[in-house]
Amino acid sequence: MSGERGGGGRGRGKKEDKDKAKGERPRGGFFRRRRVCKFCADKIDYINYKDVRLLAPFIPERGKIQPRRISGTCAKHQRALQTAISRARQLALIPYVTD
Amino acid sequence: MSQNRQYELVYIVSPDASEQAVADLHTQVEQIVQRFNGTLDKTENWGRRKLAYEIGHAREGTYVIETITGSGELMKEIDRRLRVTDTIIRHLTVRVDQDIRVAERLRTERKETQARRRTARGLPPEPLPSERRGDRDDDDSGDMGLEAGEGQR
Repeated sequence: MSGERGGGGRGRGKKEDKDKAKGERPRGGFFRRRRVCKFCADKIDYINYKDVRLLAPFIPERGKIQPRRISGTCAKHQRALQTAISRARQLALIPYVTD
Repeated sequence: MSQNRQYELVYIVSPDASEQAVADLHTQVEQIVQRFNGTLDKTENWGRRKLAYEIGHAREGTYVIETITGSGELMKEIDRRLRVTDTIIRHLTVRVDQDIRVAERLRTERKETQARRRTARGLPPEPLPSERRGDRDDDDSGDMGLEAGEGQR
């Protein structure tokens, strides 16, 4: 908000820097993706358990469900995703475990 | 009321079963549905598909999806029959009518909000194809989006 007026605490200061250095990656090497819920963004109302291509990005190699804090899915859709994944697992569309 | 629930039935037929056996199973299901005054809305045969894990000793199976409208008793009977059928290695019944209704409501609500907002701005209610944004930013423009987004917060 108060970008130019040098306001706020330390956190805000950092963000300002980022704003000025647009296009440059944030320092520290680690790049955090903007987390948006895929289902909200793509306007998917019903998470179909038969659609493996839809579910696949939320199942990393090990076969576990990706936590919300990583995938950025909103609570509502994570719940729906959970059900969809367990149904797909029952139907052997998705593995329970892989190693 | 309980007569018009919609269910989705998925069953996996063992890879040893012939095409004929799969067709027979389908007619069996159809008969049960008719006996209970239900309707078979849609049938989808995915054909042979590799399983994500072994079930019994099967590594692949034939997937059949049936959409059925009927009562709970009907599904109970189908479930019982499929359970005792040896050629079926896995089956799952899901009630879908409620979920579909919710999804439809969300869709219409979204459309209405969009139309209302657009008319308030003096635009035609439906977005023109020319003003539609790109589906997905590629990675570089995504970075820019992040900076802008974080700055505003």
